[in-house]
Amino acid sequence: MEINPFEYLMNPHKRIYWIFLLSSLVVAFVFLKCHPKQKRIILSKKLWLHPSNLLDYGYFIFFIFFKVMVILPILMSAKEVALFVNITLLDQYGFVRIESFSYIQIMALFTLSVFILSDFTRYWLHRLLHFVPWLWEFHKVHHSAKVLNPLTFYRVHPVESLLFGLRYSLSIGLVAGVFIFLFGSLVGIYDILGVNLFAFMFSLLGSNLRHSHIKLGFGNIVERFLISPLQHQIHHSKNHVNTNFGGFLSTWDYLFGTLTLSKNTTNIKFGLEKMQMKNFQNLYGLLFSPFIAIYNQIKDKNFMLYFVTMCKLQRLKREQQ
Amino acid sequence: MRYLMAIVFLVVSIGVNAVGEKFFNQVIIANVVSAITNTELLIDSINQANSTSAKMQFGNLVSSWKKVETTYLLGDLNEDYLDTPRYIDIFHNNNEDIKSQLDLIINSDDALSSAMYKHSHKTINALEYILFTKNLPHQRVKNMALMITKSIKSYLSEILNGYKAHQSKFFESEQYASAILLNTLVGGTYKLKEWRVGDVAGLSKKFKNRPNNHRAEYAISGNSMNAIKAILATQAQVINSPDYQDFGDIARQFKASKEINQAISALNDSIVNASSMSEFDFINNKGKRLYQSTNRLMKSYYISLMDRLGFVSKVLDADGD
Repeated sequence: MEINPFEYLMNPHKRIYWIFLLSSLVVAFVFLKCHPKQKRIILSKKLWLHPSNLLDYGYFIFFIFFKVMVILPILMSAKEVALFVNITLLDQYGFVRIESFSYIQIMALFTLSVFILSDFTRYWLHRLLHFVPWLWEFHKVHHSAKVLNPLTFYRVHPVESLLFGLRYSLSIGLVAGVFIFLFGSLVGIYDILGVNLFAFMFSLLGSNLRHSHIKLGFGNIVERFLISPLQHQIHHSKNHVNTNFGGFLSTWDYLFGTLTLSKNTTNIKFGLEKMQMKNFQNLYGLLFSPFIAIYNQIKDKNFMLYFVTMCKLQRLKREQQ
Repeated sequence: MRYLMAIVFLVVSIGVNAVGEKFFNQVIIANVVSAITNTELLIDSINQANSTSAKMQFGNLVSSWKKVETTYLLGDLNEDYLDTPRYIDIFHNNNEDIKSQLDLIINSDDALSSAMYKHSHKTINALEYILFTKNLPHQRVKNMALMITKSIKSYLSEILNGYKAHQSKFFESEQYASAILLNTLVGGTYKLKEWRVGDVAGLSKKFKNRPNNHRAEYAISGNSMNAIKAILATQAQVINSPDYQDFGDIARQFKASKEINQAISALNDSIVNASSMSEFDFINNKGKRLYQSTNRLMKSYYISLMDRLGFVSKVLDADGD
């Protein structure tokens, strides 16, 4: 597997694909035309050279190498999952072929199913990363960004990256396996440059502004269906960190009670609490502090368990005397 | 000049990418024509009440019909033809006991046109029963055999005309053509592995550890291996022919050499395994080997199918958010 840093700019499957960056720039340009007061912050050297951003740039370089050399080789592909699902269904139900759908209908159904299931699993993994204590330790790496830029998207701990890769393989593999079982090779996807049509369209709508200081909201009605850049920025604020988990769709947040609309929110401060922030000041901190925190949690838990057991034993002894 | 170059490139790329007209004529059309010729020869033998010759011609018809069935994609080109093969062959498509019904018809005095009112009475399976268990010189038996063979011939002619009428749909979209061709291969291989070998050998889920030679497709006439060899030979015409642009060549152009080579290897193994088998070998190790190699063939087709869905074989952005 070759390492090519420019692949991220040239590959339409990547968040910072040049067309998505360009479309975000255009959206940002229009936004700043309408909100000239925000220009000062957005264009300030202080923002782009902030230590948090500098760490993001450096971490991105590290991430490219680490991902190719360590993460990708150990991840299973969606193809393996799809083959497993398909063969299991064949063993269970025998050969099935639904012939009542046209090629176009199957393609449309598959494209939509892949997009929806992928977004749904993304929501739940993201939510679990916040609510399962040991997972949160890893996800803190991403939330430790004090200021945001498009590369903050890649400020994720390798463990989290592994989990998102696994999520992709499992969800896409499951849908593909079921569809291939039902429709065979008539399964196809409507795509633009190989990317799911819906994912491409939504990425064009300023996906790179999610990690930026462009406070672009979509209004109360649209934000119940689509996550706006501002809603994701709210997710990065200390006060609303457990809301707005959605990827493209905010429907999941709306349905499962974790939605915060941008209109109702002011005072957005990115990052973690001061005490926690000190653990994420450099590459070493980003990579190892989650493990140290988890180790400490286990140690504390064991100590607490030992302490409680000893107290109970003491009490038993006293009672026996 | 530039326009000229573009046109040349377009023509060359169409020629290179499509499973072309040559394949369509030399495989699909040629196999139907050959099956029609075999029905005519069989009709002659039946007319002469030459039982030995009729039995031999029946074997040829089985072989040529299986070739037509293996690449049957007319139903995908026009849904009016979806059910046509079921009017010729009811293997695994009908739970009726046609043998007792045919016995009743032979022993009755009713006009054959009304007595043989069901499609199943006029299939290749009914013909096998009549030719191999009844006395052909008997006038009513002879008339029944003639009626069935003429019916098969008429459906084969319908298929031939159908292909000619709807061939443009096959040529106009390479993507669709290869999708329906691959679907036919996948479906046919599953049926070969599970129904034609597994059920007989006691290796399928339905008949696990209960081998029985009587479940073979043409157990009465002893043409089951003949049918299997014809199916495998036709698959070789589709994926591994030196004479024209076949499915294997296209797979290689789309950088799926590894996958298609695996399929060809599994197909060659299956052909070798089948060639050493007689009608009674399903229930021994030879049957098991054929089951395993056809299983590998089916899986390799599924893998090729998944490779067509490029994104399924990739591990996309193992990202966070």
